[in-house]
Amino acid sequence: MRLDREITCAQVVDLVTAYLEDVLDADDRERVEEHLVFCDGCSTYLDQIRQTIAVTGRLEPEDIPPALQDKLLAAFREWSPA
Amino acid sequence: MTAYKFLGDGSVSPFAGFRWPVGEWVEAAAADPCRRGIHACRVQDVPFWLGHGLWEIELDGEIVVYQRKIVAPRGRLVRRLTDWNRELLEEFGAGVLARTRTRFGAVAVLSGYVGDIQNHLASGRVPLAAFAAARAAELSGGPAEYERERLRQAAWLADRLGLGTA
Repeated sequence: MRLDREITCAQVVDLVTAYLEDVLDADDRERVEEHLVFCDGCSTYLDQIRQTIAVTGRLEPEDIPPALQDKLLAAFREWSPA
Repeated sequence: MTAYKFLGDGSVSPFAGFRWPVGEWVEAAAADPCRRGIHACRVQDVPFWLGHGLWEIELDGEIVVYQRKIVAPRGRLVRRLTDWNRELLEEFGAGVLARTRTRFGAVAVLSGYVGDIQNHLASGRVPLAAFAAARAAELSGGPAEYERERLRQAAWLADRLGLGTA
């Protein structure tokens, strides 16, 4: 896309959640989609996120083994934004 | 009006995932770019959205023109343009490469794009090659040159596919 409309792969990654939740404005949405047409890497990444959402969206808390639940909760507790 | 739309296997739209019926009117609540509505290409938009299958679509209702697309409240898939296939895509890419080589092959820095485009084509990434050609043009003469290269690409596709003649 034109330099004044440029969106980088890193920016696409940052915007993927907003894209999938349909909260991007029309201009940003078009820029993301224009990028996806020619960027195989971002296209694959978006597909992976979609698949992840589809799979994890079907998970119930009881589907997760207790040991894994504890591990995940511990990881979330230790996580902090950079 | 007649417009164009790229769809994947099974006439599924690449972004919305909607499976298009052929010949039936599809209605949207409104024509709101990138949100609701039937999104399609004018001839000049086609190079930006190169994809698997190219279809002719009839649009109806009040049409909203956006930057790289048009949006209508109603649309009907008319026919698949069977001339749009791998061979034509590769021919399109070869033309893009030849033009970029002619224009910038001897220009410092920009000549690097010729090799990039060759590599993209060798790996089957024609949309990326077309983008790279437009970027080389832009670096030579600004945003207007980017648009002009995209228009050249659209003109080639229109000529070979008979776009805009319906």
